[in-house]
Amino acid sequence: MPARDLVAPAVAFVVLVAAIVGGAAAVPFVTGGDSTDVTNLADRQTDMDAATVAEAESQGEITMDSDAESKTVLVDRAHANRISDEKLSTLVTTLVANGHEVEFVTQEQARGTAWNESLRSADALVIANPNRPYTPGQLAGVQAFAEAGGRVVMLSDPASIQQFGIFGFGFQRQSNDAPALASEFGLSAQSGYLFNMHQYQQTFKSVYATPGTGPLAAGVDRVVVRDAAAVSVADGQTALQAGERTRLSTTRRADTYGVAVRSGSVAMVGDTDFLTPESAYVADNEVFIGNLADFLVSGEKTENAPAPPSERSAGGGAAPPRPPAERA
Amino acid sequence: MSKDTSAASARTLFVVAVVAAVLVSAVLAPLAYDAAQSAQSEGTVSVVTISGTITTSTVDGVSEDLREARTNESIRAVVLKVDSGGGLVAPSERLYLEVLRTAEQMPVVASVQGIGASGAYYGMLPADEIYVLSSSEVGSVGVIGPGGTVPVPDSIIRTGPDKAQPTAEDRRRTIESLKRQFVGRVMEHRGEELSLSREEVAYAKTYLGPEAASNGYADGIGALPTAIDRAAELAGMENYDVVRNEPPFRGGFFLFATEANNRTTVYKQGPGMAGPVPVTQPLFVDEIANHDPQLASYDTEVQHNASA
Repeated sequence: MPARDLVAPAVAFVVLVAAIVGGAAAVPFVTGGDSTDVTNLADRQTDMDAATVAEAESQGEITMDSDAESKTVLVDRAHANRISDEKLSTLVTTLVANGHEVEFVTQEQARGTAWNESLRSADALVIANPNRPYTPGQLAGVQAFAEAGGRVVMLSDPASIQQFGIFGFGFQRQSNDAPALASEFGLSAQSGYLFNMHQYQQTFKSVYATPGTGPLAAGVDRVVVRDAAAVSVADGQTALQAGERTRLSTTRRADTYGVAVRSGSVAMVGDTDFLTPESAYVADNEVFIGNLADFLVSGEKTENAPAPPSERSAGGGAAPPRPPAERA
Repeated sequence: MSKDTSAASARTLFVVAVVAAVLVSAVLAPLAYDAAQSAQSEGTVSVVTISGTITTSTVDGVSEDLREARTNESIRAVVLKVDSGGGLVAPSERLYLEVLRTAEQMPVVASVQGIGASGAYYGMLPADEIYVLSSSEVGSVGVIGPGGTVPVPDSIIRTGPDKAQPTAEDRRRTIESLKRQFVGRVMEHRGEELSLSREEVAYAKTYLGPEAASNGYADGIGALPTAIDRAAELAGMENYDVVRNEPPFRGGFFLFATEANNRTTVYKQGPGMAGPVPVTQPLFVDEIANHDPQLASYDTEVQHNASA
């Protein structure tokens, strides 16, 4: 076949391919390709005001009003207490700065009769989140200590409420199968934590508590607790109660829940987070911490209470409750 | 004789032609059928699958599918086939924005399979309608995260007290802010249908299908075909094609390392393997850089990269 016969088909091929491929390449330039208009949806959909959570204002000083002479405050460290030095530091520094003495009782220092011996030389006792049970002797010692006018402050986070066996202090459920133990001091707590979905600081468990009655509430407008248990008192003062529309996690009921209560020389706060250095100056937390410190040092305890063990009750510090006397 | 031969070759040709015709028709007939059918079709419904934990990579895949839906003129509606309990916050927001962008151009209908909660629910909020099964669960409108960070050791030098160590208060504020955005968007997109208040939404409860359909978290009970049909209807199509976009296979290989005789060995295991197999070649260059058993520094490098 002569070569010139192939020229025409070859030219036709090249022209066709060029036209088709070139046309295809030109289409996006004419139609604008497949890109779409881009709007800044992320910006349009963001409500800047709603997305900004204000920093909590923290200011003020922790001060004490009490002019009590130097007292000794004992801090329980002997019962696997779940509380950090950091949390305790705000209260301890306040006491020390005002001329009082703070002693920590470790597990080694609480063996046998040593616990009650420590109590005898102290004026006040701080117990936070104990995780190891008290011996009957230790319990009786704390009870005698409080009855003699020694001040006791119990701090407890919701999970630790069960652990408190002191003063018959009980763990109350809504059902009746585990009724609250009758308590000499009339203190009780409910299981679960408090929350408020309506008004809170930063997150729903950071509940505002407003002042009730008594010196623990003096000068307080509102306190912020971060993870609080509801505590109540039968015959005493509710020093702080959670704000309106606060609910209990277990029942979801909105009610007036106590956060800090006092019965005689015993006070109980259902939270420990208000003591952390970063929460201590938020709202009026610093005022409340000062009040707690004042409460600890303003008692008048009878000398040498609890009484040393008598010869008949061996080994247990203060005498545990004795069984009924045998009858002849 | 020659007459017979020519008759035979004519028959052979005839048979060859018939066979060829059948073969060619077998190939062309389905194409013709499809062509005839799609000539009737008014467009395509693209089914985009969102399943498993929502991470950057899952959202990358879904974003591609959604972009394809927006740019391909034949696709006129999208159905989100959702089966996910949520995932990371930022990818979930990206998913939300991609779905929103798509929903502004064409109907989008979500079909929840087992679960469509948290970040997955976030992602489907812009859909025109949400269908659930009576066994589906939707909701969990909220955010969780660690309350603080592990203290940075003193041996590490930092430029500021908040570098790599936010305070508990910082974390609370961050998480609360993310929650407000999430709840705000639920109220924006579902507000009119919802019988729940903003406060009730913020409880972050998960609802079972029938309850979700009655409180407004979903629009109705229905399976995937219902959602596809509804999406086509919203796009005004009676005859339509369906394309399904399944996520790429990720069932994959995982890596782990052991230490023995003072040497670290990296293993991989995947489908079709009887057991863990030692890795002798780098699998993911970015993650296991310079992995070479011959190198003296092998141990420390693998350990470093494996824990990075």
